[in-house]
Amino acid sequence: MSHATEDDAPATGRNGRVREFFTERFGLGTLLELGEKKRVPIHRTTPFYFLGGMALFLVVVQAASGVMLSLYYKPSPDQAFESVQAIMTEVDFGWLLRSVHAWGGTLLIAVLILHLLTTYMMRAYRRPREFTWVTGILLLGLFMAFGFSGYLLPWNQLAFFATRVGTAIVGAVPLVGDELLVWARGGENVTGDTLARFYALHVAVFPLLAIGLLGVHLFLVQKHGMSVPDAATNLHGNRVPSMPFVPHFLLRDAVGWYLALAVLALLAAVFPWELGEKAEPFGSAPEGIKPEWYFLFMFQALRELPAHFLGMEGEMLGVLFFGFCGFVVLLIPFLDRGTRTRRVLNGLAVVSVVFVIAMSIWGFLE
Amino acid sequence: MKTPSAFILTFVATVAAAARLVAQDTAEPVAPQDSSCVQCHGESAIWDADKRSHFVTEADLAADIHWQKGIHCHDCHGGDPTSLNFRGAHSADAGYRVIESPKDIPRFCGHCHSDVEYMSRYQPSPKTNQEAEYWTSGHGRRLEQSPTADVAMCTSCHGRHGIRAVDDLESPVYPTNVANTCATCHADAEKMAGVQHHGRPMGHDQFEEWSSSVHADALLNKGDLSAPTCNDCHGNHGTVAPDPAAVSSACASCHVKIGTLFDQTVMKHRFEQANLPGCATCHGNHAIHHPTDEMLGMSAGAVCSKCHEAGQHGASLAGAVEAKALRVALEELKQQIAIAAGKLDRAQRMGMEVRTARFHLRDAQDALANARVEIHSFATEPVKKVLDQGLAVTEQVNAKAEDAFREHSFRRIWLAASLVPIGLVIVLLLLYIRTLPPPTVEPLEHGSRAAGA
Repeated sequence: MSHATEDDAPATGRNGRVREFFTERFGLGTLLELGEKKRVPIHRTTPFYFLGGMALFLVVVQAASGVMLSLYYKPSPDQAFESVQAIMTEVDFGWLLRSVHAWGGTLLIAVLILHLLTTYMMRAYRRPREFTWVTGILLLGLFMAFGFSGYLLPWNQLAFFATRVGTAIVGAVPLVGDELLVWARGGENVTGDTLARFYALHVAVFPLLAIGLLGVHLFLVQKHGMSVPDAATNLHGNRVPSMPFVPHFLLRDAVGWYLALAVLALLAAVFPWELGEKAEPFGSAPEGIKPEWYFLFMFQALRELPAHFLGMEGEMLGVLFFGFCGFVVLLIPFLDRGTRTRRVLNGLAVVSVVFVIAMSIWGFLE
Repeated sequence: MKTPSAFILTFVATVAAAARLVAQDTAEPVAPQDSSCVQCHGESAIWDADKRSHFVTEADLAADIHWQKGIHCHDCHGGDPTSLNFRGAHSADAGYRVIESPKDIPRFCGHCHSDVEYMSRYQPSPKTNQEAEYWTSGHGRRLEQSPTADVAMCTSCHGRHGIRAVDDLESPVYPTNVANTCATCHADAEKMAGVQHHGRPMGHDQFEEWSSSVHADALLNKGDLSAPTCNDCHGNHGTVAPDPAAVSSACASCHVKIGTLFDQTVMKHRFEQANLPGCATCHGNHAIHHPTDEMLGMSAGAVCSKCHEAGQHGASLAGAVEAKALRVALEELKQQIAIAAGKLDRAQRMGMEVRTARFHLRDAQDALANARVEIHSFATEPVKKVLDQGLAVTEQVNAKAEDAFREHSFRRIWLAASLVPIGLVIVLLLLYIRTLPPPTVEPLEHGSRAAGA
């Protein structure tokens, strides 16, 4: 790295000297230069760009609140429920931490889904951003897995039986279903081993994967810049109006973060996250067992499938279908080969969104 | 008895007798495998149906507590176990003890079991009054009067050979098996036909009734070996059906507090005057079901109404009023406990701290249980006093639950209030953004078509 001219400029005052100290050692000049040079296109759908920032903000909230919860949480069937109870009743502002963490998770998934849909609508996955899309889809799957594993940790009735139902679906995967089920549960049934396994995934394995994937995703976003929708380039050609990232876009992004925080506070105030009742593994399942809302469409569809369909077990067919759909979504950048395939993809996207919404509503009302 | 080849028997007997004479000289006990008793009585083929009871299997002996303690055939029956000759083996000179009728059996067993000195070899302070008790029992008296009577004696309950220790799970007198053992006769309509007790037919439904009782449930389903079966109320060796006046004493042997309360009541004397069987008057005798609060009062299913409604046995209407009032008071406490518990459940689901209050609520539940016991004093004051203590507890618990709800609402309000500073920051940010210089139109380095956007 060559010595930048700004690094050589004499520092003035105490602040200047401190800045020079760190700039020289961490190469902050490059970052500052990047921030100053980076521009964000302005068009009708610019607000969609804020969704990525909001998601990142919520990831930070989840990490911070999760670390604080882990100081008090005890991952064993004998102590898990009691430790969450202690967090909510004895730890100062523990109730707030848990509520923020629980609602933050669900809000993060909602923001990520919106981010996915708007990215698809803007066709921001096109060359050279195929892997920005792929890492984004993998991140969505990962955060859903975060949600699924975290749901069991309070070890209450609803969590226990929802996990039993949810992991049973894994058993329907063809050929390796039984092995996958045992791997997911750490045994034949949902037990303390499942809890320990889910805890390890939730606080160690998934965060490591998330850091890696998020790093690649953000690097690619930075490398390729913001994608401009066709409508804007058609209107302005190569001279699309833009704003500097710092401070214009960053401040608007900050508004998005505060909006996310406001929604989080509102949800926690209006719908406080309850503790529930301690899981009774040998008791009967309570009525109305449902997974988190983002798994509801799959749960409902699998439930409504006939026992046998097209010569296969209905549930197995459903799992194969959803697996195939996920794979198609992952490969969208490579499938969008022209106007005709785009029309097919758009048609499928509309059908999928309608299906997911309809199934979710059905599952909610059931 | 069939006889095998006379030649072989005589030969074997001669050789064996010669060998055992040597053994007798040395005064050593006869080993079981050398006992001539087993050689004949253990041979299935030689015992016809009418003498089948003389056949003893190896399995019987292996399970038999006597055999296990080294007490062999001749120790009970006498005779000469070294003799292969029938007469020699069963000779009176060798101490052979004849059982001529069932009446001989209690004395046969009592020969050892009534002997303190002998029984002390096996237990430091042995119980040796079984035989004496037996002769005082309904069974014993009947046998005494009629030596050939088909009535229970030692072997009826304990078995003949293969007598197991009383703490052996397979013993017919192990607590969980006692009722079945008694039912062998007492549930047999044919056997019990004509059997009278206190001038009334004894019937044969006791086992069926007991099987539906709370006691049978505790003993057989919940494994509570202290729960009463037949012998706990009727005695075992000195079995008698309790006199009506003695029923409450039998119940009080377990239900001590209730028994003490009932003993001090006027009701007890009234029951005695009317020849009513104490506790069994309201709770039944064999089919004693789980007591419910519905038994109290004058509504349908209430036991008080049986006498107090029609003024039977001198029961007064004032007693009916009192019973109704007690029932109302009891229901009120139950309702308050349910309300308090419901509130605590709701608060706990919300994640509020109510463990102390829940612990405190146990005092109200204890008060309810105590009130149900105090009802057996048949006096309003002590019951009301206990119920009032319970109501005071529910009041405190309800207040604590309400505190938890208020705290929960307080949290929600403050959380909602946090929207104000958040909104303020958003407004300030938007105002600041408006002061920034307007965006310029510049070629985009990364967003252009050339870059593949």
